[in-house]
Amino acid sequence: MTPGGSGEVIRVDGLVKDYGPIHAVRGIDLLVGTGEVVGFLGPNGAGKSTTIRCLLDLLRPTAGRIMLFGLDPARDGVATRRRLAYVPGELRLPDRLSGGGLVASLTAFRGPYDRRRLETLAERLALDLSRPTRQLSSGNRRKLALLLAFLWPTELLVLDEPTSGLDPLMQQEFLGLVREARAGGSSVFLSSHVLSEVQRVADRVVVLRDGLVVASGTVAELRGRATRRVDVTFGADVPVSEIEALPGLRDRRIDGRRVTGVVTGSLQPLIAVLARHPVDDLLVEEPDLEETFLELYEEPA
Amino acid sequence: MSTIAGRLRAVVDPFLALRRSGLLWLVSIAALVALTVAFWPAFQGASGISRAIDQLPASVVDAFGLAELGTPAGFLRGNLYDLIVPLLIGGATVGFANGLTAADEDAGRLELVLAQPVSRQGVFLARSLAATAWLVVLTAGTLAVQVASDRVVGLAIDDATVVATVVLCGLLGAFHGGLALLVAGLRPRPGLVLGLTLAVLIAGFVVTALFPLSDPLRDLVHLSPWDWAFGGDPLRSPTEPWRYLVLGLPAIAFTTVGAVAFSRRDVEVG
Repeated sequence: MTPGGSGEVIRVDGLVKDYGPIHAVRGIDLLVGTGEVVGFLGPNGAGKSTTIRCLLDLLRPTAGRIMLFGLDPARDGVATRRRLAYVPGELRLPDRLSGGGLVASLTAFRGPYDRRRLETLAERLALDLSRPTRQLSSGNRRKLALLLAFLWPTELLVLDEPTSGLDPLMQQEFLGLVREARAGGSSVFLSSHVLSEVQRVADRVVVLRDGLVVASGTVAELRGRATRRVDVTFGADVPVSEIEALPGLRDRRIDGRRVTGVVTGSLQPLIAVLARHPVDDLLVEEPDLEETFLELYEEPA
Repeated sequence: MSTIAGRLRAVVDPFLALRRSGLLWLVSIAALVALTVAFWPAFQGASGISRAIDQLPASVVDAFGLAELGTPAGFLRGNLYDLIVPLLIGGATVGFANGLTAADEDAGRLELVLAQPVSRQGVFLARSLAATAWLVVLTAGTLAVQVASDRVVGLAIDDATVVATVVLCGLLGAFHGGLALLVAGLRPRPGLVLGLTLAVLIAGFVVTALFPLSDPLRDLVHLSPWDWAFGGDPLRSPTEPWRYLVLGLPAIAFTTVGAVAFSRRDVEVG
């Protein structure tokens, strides 16, 4: 996808949202292309839901520009919302309606739906549509919101913490639905604070903290920035000066011929040092993305 | 809203959401009217009450709607339409308007609705229509019970004056309901909407009832919507058309401004 090209589903430039003296979003840029699944990660209070509500024109930006499908949602809100489906993070459904009643209610706005699709989704999500929403558990209410989002074919799914309250089985089912939506050409903007769920379906990830984007890229790119625990046993004395000069190696400990530590980013400098010396044993652990993201969350923005 | 079905649904769903409270208000007001009228035969024959009222100062009698309590018009005015019925219909309408706008918004229940392909103004106006529909139900129900009760107990009064009076009660409710919608459009704070609008409703009655007792304040009575509605004594004399307009037109204007304000600000999402 080329920035500014016709494949842009979401384009956000310099979005700022203040609530009085509180700066919820402090100037972020976003791009989501057609058929792309973008994970929107960040701790609670990072500004994810505020950004999403600006996309839906529920909140008006303090500054910056938002375009959905090339349209301004503040001016063409009806047209843009017709092309997307939304699962709110904080779910409040009308109490008096059953799941089926809620489907019927939204049909008036969204048009007819595929009845077989409804039955299939209800079955996959193990959802009883005859029960009033007030009698549903939080997990079942969440499933109902997912059913409503996936029932009508849309070009964009905006999902704010969609698996909150779902059991692992349903989380798997949800990821299946996201993959199917992408295969059908839909774009998905998936907000979460759980990396493991996002990295399984997202093409790209944007990490938000304190209202700013602190990292973005493909999961592979972020994996390249990840931390790895390394454990090296040299066949001779440890080249201490070279080890101490290694960029990105921290928490290093030298114990006899053994060196342990944590490498952030590329392993190339370490490998270059090891190549010059005899090595008896080398252990590099799988990158811990969760740890990487926790570090991103914790660093000052 | 894109389709007729969508527009209809946007009104019907909130209307049905209020069905319990709406029916409760309807039954309460209808019961009050029917029970009050049932006492008419006792009032009609009790000359002692009229004599006791005649002992009171004329200003007090006027202030509390006690004049001619032994006549059908005086009886209905003093017992129902001087205060209690307009107050109940007004209070109910304010509650409906607040419940469907500020209270729903404050509770975050509008988020899913406004994420649909609907305009903010459309949603606000649809909810205003739903509240108005309940006002119409209350007004029509009150009128029907009033007329039927009059027939049953033999309270002889011109139906046209009863219709005018009850319609004015409904319009007074619409005025304050519109005011509630205006405040809700500006600020989605249910407590603020209820407090401010009910304060205006009650203050209007106080102005109408008590200001005539004071020479310096007497002329200010015309500032009260209650005076606009009932200052012409609609149970006794024909109502001037401007009284309907001066209540109905602000209600429409308030609602329109509320809808515009709602479309221009952030939505409260809980």
